[in-house]
Amino acid sequence: MYDRTFPENAVTAQDIKIEAKGVNVHYGDTHAIKDVSVDIQDKTVTAFIGPSGCGKSTFLRCFNRMNDTIDSARVTGDIRIDGEDIYDKRVDPVQLRAKVGMVFQKPNPFPKSIYDNVAYGPKIHGLAHTRADLDDIVEKALRRGAIWDEVKDRLQAPGTGLSGGQQQRLCIARAIATEPEVLLMDEPCSALDPIATGQVEELIDELRRDYSVVIVTHSMQQAARVSQKTAFFHLGNLVEYGDTDEIFTNPQDPKTESYITGRIG
Amino acid sequence: MSHTHISSAFDRDLEAIQALLMKMGGLVEEAIMEAAKSLETRDEDLAMKVREGDKAIDQLEEQINDEAAKLVALRAPIASDMRLVLSVIKISANLERIGDYSKNLAKRTTVLNQLPPQDGAPQAIRRMAREVQRMLHDVLDAYIQRDADLALEVRDHDADVDQMYNALFREFLTFMMEDPRNITACMHLHFIAKNIERMGDHVTSIADQIVYSVTGQKPEESRRKGDITSTASFEK
Repeated sequence: MYDRTFPENAVTAQDIKIEAKGVNVHYGDTHAIKDVSVDIQDKTVTAFIGPSGCGKSTFLRCFNRMNDTIDSARVTGDIRIDGEDIYDKRVDPVQLRAKVGMVFQKPNPFPKSIYDNVAYGPKIHGLAHTRADLDDIVEKALRRGAIWDEVKDRLQAPGTGLSGGQQQRLCIARAIATEPEVLLMDEPCSALDPIATGQVEELIDELRRDYSVVIVTHSMQQAARVSQKTAFFHLGNLVEYGDTDEIFTNPQDPKTESYITGRIG
Repeated sequence: MSHTHISSAFDRDLEAIQALLMKMGGLVEEAIMEAAKSLETRDEDLAMKVREGDKAIDQLEEQINDEAAKLVALRAPIASDMRLVLSVIKISANLERIGDYSKNLAKRTTVLNQLPPQDGAPQAIRRMAREVQRMLHDVLDAYIQRDADLALEVRDHDADVDQMYNALFREFLTFMMEDPRNITACMHLHFIAKNIERMGDHVTSIADQIVYSVTGQKPEESRRKGDITSTASFEK
């Protein structure tokens, strides 16, 4: 007999993509993230779980400086992507967000055609020089977003006319059209039915080959299904961070145990 | 785990399945003791009762497995809940096996009752059965109290049962060499002793499950093993 490996669980890269050290986030007087340090691996799906208001989305939004857009938010500490400080004055947040894509809870396609939804990012970042280039980029992104076959005959139809699950996959295709290296997902399936959720989860597993994916989810089962690493947040603290199979079979911290097993912690 | 689930129905399901397991454990303890007693006192009625009683044990195992399957499907237990459900399934299988061995003991009692009594051996077997029953009792206590240390302690007692079996093995071998007319009875008695020794192994495996369920780790340190008969031979 030869050894069988389980590829969906095997973390293939040990390289660190995002390195966060001593990160604190304040919203006015509220201390939302308390001295969190974590290393996010490349080509790995990392799930952030925790009760509402624990800071998981806030922390996720630090990785592409989305918190910059909130006036009262103050981020301190050190966050590096590929060793580069993303809060350095010389870093252009717009360029950063092309490199660190994001998908939100509710699918939010632009009120434009399917084609333009995907073409928008590459156009403004100057990734395409000719119309043929752009066509290629759009097709590639839609294929990788696992939605090409469903929309290839109606690229000029409005993106908002698609079903919820299709819209979300369109948004993922839009996010990966700019060739990001990191994909942040904030509750990407919470507005989707189980079939669409399954398709998006399958897509996340595909995307892991090329990207470092960080996903915030309220669904424990989703975290267990799609991620290789799990981080549990509680009241702004990172309580436990480790291999997903370990966290879900034998968590080390009683707070993690209480939360994931559905007990009052 | 001192906290209760937010879903109280989940707690009720977990409690119900464990209550079934404890009921099964109680029946199996009784079966061991009564089977051994029927052997020593040559009590045919008691042996019959043990044989009949095994059906209830088997039914409980089936019921526990059904409830466990339902719990997995409906509640998707994880972490300590998942370990608990896994251990319930495995422990019920161990208990069912111990029940079978008791039933087998009772069957052999009926055969032995047709043969002349063997001095001493049934008493020694009953002592061995009492030791296994005590281990089972302790291990079920360890289960209820979620006490991994107690479970580990029980695990170590299995070597004593093995020693008792070794002694009986030699004794039976000697009897059979002495007088071939002893062979039928001694073969049956030997199977009984071996089966009780196997019961001890099942209790040990239950202890392992408790350690896993409580701590999330399988017990690592090797335990004392006393059964050396697999390499024994009788040289003249």
